[in-house]
Amino acid sequence: MFNEIKQRFATDDVEVKRNDLYKVRIKYSRLFELMHMLRDEYDYKTLNAITCTDWIEEGHFALTYMLTTEDRKYTFMIQTMINREDAQAKTLSHEYKQAQIMERDLHEMYGIDFPGNENLKELSLESWVHTPPLRREFDTLEFVTNHLIFREGREDNVDTKAETKRLRAEKKAQKSKDEEVKDGK
Amino acid sequence: MENKHITIFHGPQHPGITGNMSIELDLIGETIQKATTHVGYLHRGFEKLIERRTVIQAFTIVCRICVPEPDPNEANFAMAVEELAGLEVTPRAQYIRVMVLELSRLAAQFLWMAGQSGSIGLYAVGQWAIADRDLILDLFEELTGARVYHMYIYPGGVRRDLPEGFLERVTTLLIYMKKRLKDYDDIFINNASFKNRAVGVGIISKEEAVANGYVGQVLRGCGIKADVRKDAPYLVYNELEFEVPTQTTGDVYARALVRRAEMDQSLHILDQVVRKMPEGKVMIKIPTHRKFKLPKDDTWVKVESARGEFAYYMAGDGSEKIRRMQVRGPSLVHAYTLLEDLLIGAELSDVALIMNSLGICPPEIER
Repeated sequence: MFNEIKQRFATDDVEVKRNDLYKVRIKYSRLFELMHMLRDEYDYKTLNAITCTDWIEEGHFALTYMLTTEDRKYTFMIQTMINREDAQAKTLSHEYKQAQIMERDLHEMYGIDFPGNENLKELSLESWVHTPPLRREFDTLEFVTNHLIFREGREDNVDTKAETKRLRAEKKAQKSKDEEVKDGK
Repeated sequence: MENKHITIFHGPQHPGITGNMSIELDLIGETIQKATTHVGYLHRGFEKLIERRTVIQAFTIVCRICVPEPDPNEANFAMAVEELAGLEVTPRAQYIRVMVLELSRLAAQFLWMAGQSGSIGLYAVGQWAIADRDLILDLFEELTGARVYHMYIYPGGVRRDLPEGFLERVTTLLIYMKKRLKDYDDIFINNASFKNRAVGVGIISKEEAVANGYVGQVLRGCGIKADVRKDAPYLVYNELEFEVPTQTTGDVYARALVRRAEMDQSLHILDQVVRKMPEGKVMIKIPTHRKFKLPKDDTWVKVESARGEFAYYMAGDGSEKIRRMQVRGPSLVHAYTLLEDLLIGAELSDVALIMNSLGICPPEIER
């Protein structure tokens, strides 16, 4: 199987990660051809997940499709890079029913468009108009600082520095006491 | 009188919903025409938070991804980190992890039993199940210091060794459980009220289950012998004997029978773990949290949770923070692809029954 992938898809980037897990990196233009080959000729019938990793410094998203054999023994990670700007990938929702919700999730979290997926409406976020939150440029702390109102906390009567110092001294004393007992003094 | 088309929300505040989610139901009379799942009531942004934290800081929050069964999250997280960092865990730590995962599976099945029986009004079963689950939580409290979120399966091993006499107390619990589970057969599994409601309801075909990526009891309930512990063994499951129970009818009752049989198998596994528990260290030396870096690489790890295959994708980038971690539990696909389909044509009174049988945990969808 590996040789066929290497020859047919002109890639050396095939890796055995574990005895039940393989990985291949492939150009986006050949992605679906490879997925079809694995499904039709090697029994990788189930699409288990689609994941995305944002490599902002390199200017692309890594999309990884997890395909599993019908006997569930082997998983193939097929990874492809797509451009971060105007990111889009062909939908798989017409071939794999579960891809519909997986793509909807990625659309919401990364802003990736999946032309042909008929239901890319909001999933967990409500009326979200900001940067998709799992993109690296989305700064959670900045967003919270700018959009949420902080409540003042309760006044703390304990001097934490003094308390830490006291606990450390207590621990040290206990340790030397234990050592003395151990040494039979 | 003519039946009118109405739309109602089942949840999020509803005893028959498994967590914080709702299902929008279009009904004619009591028959469902369309079901639309809604989540978003519990979005805590774990996957984003993890990208901001060091590996060890991230470890402290993964268990919160699924409330009924947090331990598979800890196991997946630890296994992914260890694989990327090239760490090998000691045999004793692996056996202890299996013990924790099986106890956790039992606890989750009791919780399911409480939910499933409650969905048809058999409340006594729920009271019993919660009380029996508490006996397992007592052991967890002794072992980890916490009843629900244990933070115990740590990258590099487990956080502390077993307390003195712990294995004897596990054995005592196993003896009790073996006897006790028969009572659940009488009051719940073989109860005519449950059978009448569950047989022939929420049927899933074998072909559909494979093609659509369904997992756990959904697969096994329609005759597919799928279990990560057997198919791609992790930890020391290949050293232990156990069966993968299946049924063929693919309905709610078949899934209940599978779960019940799995409880027996968990007891059988625990029995072996107690007998085979090796001596040795439970933790290897790992870098301090500020120096714990993962290489630029990625992996996909999975365990068999009480609800089915539970997987994590993890990518490192050479820094002390995890570049990306994605959770793939049973719930996303079961709550949308499966539940929305399965409810069409079902009766309103069967919504909770069907939903409970699918092992849906909303926090894991929104993660």
